[in-house]
Amino acid sequence: MTEGASRASDLEPRDGAAGAADRRRAHMDRLSSIVARYGLLLAFGAMILAFSLAKPDAFPTTANAKSILTAAAPALIVAAGLTVPLVMQDFDLSFGAMIGLAGGAAVVLQSQDDWAWGLALLVALGLGLAAGATSGFLVAYLGGSSFIITLAMGTVLVGLEYVFTDQTTIFAGVSQGYIDIGQGEFLGLNNQVWIAAGIAIVLWVLLDQSELGRYMYAIGGNPEAARLSGVRIRRIRLTGFVIVALCAAIVGILLTAQGASSVPNTGTAYLLPAFAAVFLGSAVFRPGEFNIPGTVVGVLFLGVIQTGLTMLQLETFVINLVQGAILIIAVLVSQLGQRAR
Amino acid sequence: MTTSPRPPLLVVKGLVKRYPGVLALDHAAAVIEAGQVLGLVGKNGAGKSTLIKILAGATHPDEGEILVGGEPAHIHTPHRATELGLSFVHQELADVPNLTVAENVELGLGYPKRFGILLDRRRLRAKVREVLERLGAEDIDPRALVSTLSVAHQRMVMIARGMAANARLLVLDEPSASLSNEEIDQLHRVVRGLAETGVAVIYVTHRLEEIFQMTDVVSVMRDGKMVLSCPTDDLNKASLVAHITGSAEVAPEKRDRAVLSSERGEELLRVEGVTLPGVVEDVSFNVRAGELLGIAGLVGSGRTELVRLIVGADRRPHGRILMRGQEVRIHSPSDSRRHGIVLLPEDRRSQGAVMDFSVRKNITLPVLRSFRPARPLPLPQVRRERAMAQEMVSELGITTRNIENPVRYLSGGNQQKVVLAKWLRSGADVFIFDEPTHGIDVEGKDEVYRLMEELALAGRAVIFISSEFTELVGACNRVVVMREGRLVGELDGEEVTDQALVERCYVDAAA
Repeated sequence: MTEGASRASDLEPRDGAAGAADRRRAHMDRLSSIVARYGLLLAFGAMILAFSLAKPDAFPTTANAKSILTAAAPALIVAAGLTVPLVMQDFDLSFGAMIGLAGGAAVVLQSQDDWAWGLALLVALGLGLAAGATSGFLVAYLGGSSFIITLAMGTVLVGLEYVFTDQTTIFAGVSQGYIDIGQGEFLGLNNQVWIAAGIAIVLWVLLDQSELGRYMYAIGGNPEAARLSGVRIRRIRLTGFVIVALCAAIVGILLTAQGASSVPNTGTAYLLPAFAAVFLGSAVFRPGEFNIPGTVVGVLFLGVIQTGLTMLQLETFVINLVQGAILIIAVLVSQLGQRAR
Repeated sequence: MTTSPRPPLLVVKGLVKRYPGVLALDHAAAVIEAGQVLGLVGKNGAGKSTLIKILAGATHPDEGEILVGGEPAHIHTPHRATELGLSFVHQELADVPNLTVAENVELGLGYPKRFGILLDRRRLRAKVREVLERLGAEDIDPRALVSTLSVAHQRMVMIARGMAANARLLVLDEPSASLSNEEIDQLHRVVRGLAETGVAVIYVTHRLEEIFQMTDVVSVMRDGKMVLSCPTDDLNKASLVAHITGSAEVAPEKRDRAVLSSERGEELLRVEGVTLPGVVEDVSFNVRAGELLGIAGLVGSGRTELVRLIVGADRRPHGRILMRGQEVRIHSPSDSRRHGIVLLPEDRRSQGAVMDFSVRKNITLPVLRSFRPARPLPLPQVRRERAMAQEMVSELGITTRNIENPVRYLSGGNQQKVVLAKWLRSGADVFIFDEPTHGIDVEGKDEVYRLMEELALAGRAVIFISSEFTELVGACNRVVVMREGRLVGELDGEEVTDQALVERCYVDAAA
């Protein structure tokens, strides 16, 4: 959000033929860009205020803030990972299944095969690497549609998960060292929060500050121009799928560590919230562009809503309806920012 | 008692069409009678397409009048053009490939129906077969999918569509492009046959031999004006070429090439037998340090395809590419970049620029590595990027208030300059400019010529592709000519003239 943020504010009419239409357009641009850039932040603030007023004893407390952060941590990790391929206009629909596979494999290897937990963890990460590289190869090198390929890959990964877990919940035999990763605390916050923050910062530097990130945005903007500029677009697109799959594997490890167990098919629940958060995030800071700071806000926003609505003791179906509606509105708002350009 | 003569089918008077910075049509006028075949010729950019677009209702004139059958006609929409009996076969085929021939011919004309709703395929086929027979194209099966037909047959289908709509005037925009000789013969028979039934035909072509084979009258356009309209019999090839190029006018002054020519250094790029069947056939040429080599040819002659093959942007061709005498293998633009060959592509919107990126980010994209704070640290320093972008902006005279503005908001000419700026600091040895002056105003063009010249003087090799021959004559010390995917000629030094280029591009080498 450093240099990019200046972008929408100094829109100027087309040089040369600066007609009235251009000026009006620039004016509209400025207006809609303000709405688009700060709308979500305002809504976020209003939401926190509203919940605090409704539940003054339970909502605005340190304990609640900590629990929201802990719950948001895995969501942030996958959403931040997902931001990377989305920047290049590539979808990944397999990371939910990847979460389940990585977690299942790590637990089964320690509990049934008596592997050291560190080794099991490395195997889980290795599976993420392999799955991401496979999807990436099929999409970037063989030209498959990322939508279909990762949808199919998701099915394959669920199948692999069942090979490990036999579709059963596994409680026994999870090492304490492994459990500590998900349950331990550091400086008063759950380890997962620190891990999520670390990953978000790394991916922010990658996308916003590094050469690779610049190339990724260029690929998203115009792959042919990027390619003719000497950008190795296939390799970089493959990298995007590897990053999201690795993030999913990390989340699989954290969730099973926290629960000290592996429950079949846990990951799929993260699919929609992650997409929701990334698209919400594309409505802040740099309207119409996926970016990590935006994704962070998106995840926290959804986390606050989830907790707040639960505290109001609303029915699950209401929570679902509200979350769905918010996603639709957010996507429309971010598209508004995009159309104005 | 004298019967008044029937008014001409189409009269165009004083048509003016302005685009920003360009006068596309400058009081153009034309007359065509029923049953006539009119050959419309002129260089690229002479105004032919604009005239056709106006007749088709795709764009509207700023001034002037169109009379159809003696009545003033206001062609606001393509639909209105169809109502007036005007039919168009554009260069790009506009048929629906996954429908059958019959379905395409009658598309939008109301298919015959059974019970008011069901498509009556049998009647549809019979109707279309009759139209095709009338055209003398009975070898086309109305049931065939259009996607399975040859280009020639697809054009026939488009013509048949005009006939089915009872067209009185048929406009064919380069209908013979990419057809074989036999196919062209069939096309000519069809067109002559139509003329005999009273249909008027405007036939746009770059092949002058066609003009003499089959047109009744010729109209020549140059710089938006209709400079000549006369019966074909009054002309010969030489006089027609002279009218097309306007060689009676004083040619723009040739730049001082003496410096460049004497400085020609070692050979940098050599291309040997580059072939991609059906696209580029056995092309060989070389270019030396300090040289400005032009590639002349009409749109579709394979120029762009050739240079894209050289930089590895498409499939790998047969043949060899050598840099400084060493064979190099180029699989992708990034390989070509590494070997010091860069392409500044023709279409800036789709290939040159990332429209949502700022001016700075576009300019630094190919050279981003050079902004690392330290060699192993791939985090570009924005401050240094800005300095470089600012420098290029003032050097090329790019008009923008802020280098952080998205390129999308710049005018076309400025966008093109950004694309040029991208590559100038790339440290490459061979620069290929594909139509770099497209859409750039006069001063901007001079800037581009000066840039290419400076690159050459600095010991780089420059390849300059252009459809504007005067440009090549002015800028290049050597020009190779492409036609139908082949190199058909090479002109050096004083031989490079507008006249010579036109002859080699338009006229059969054998003729």
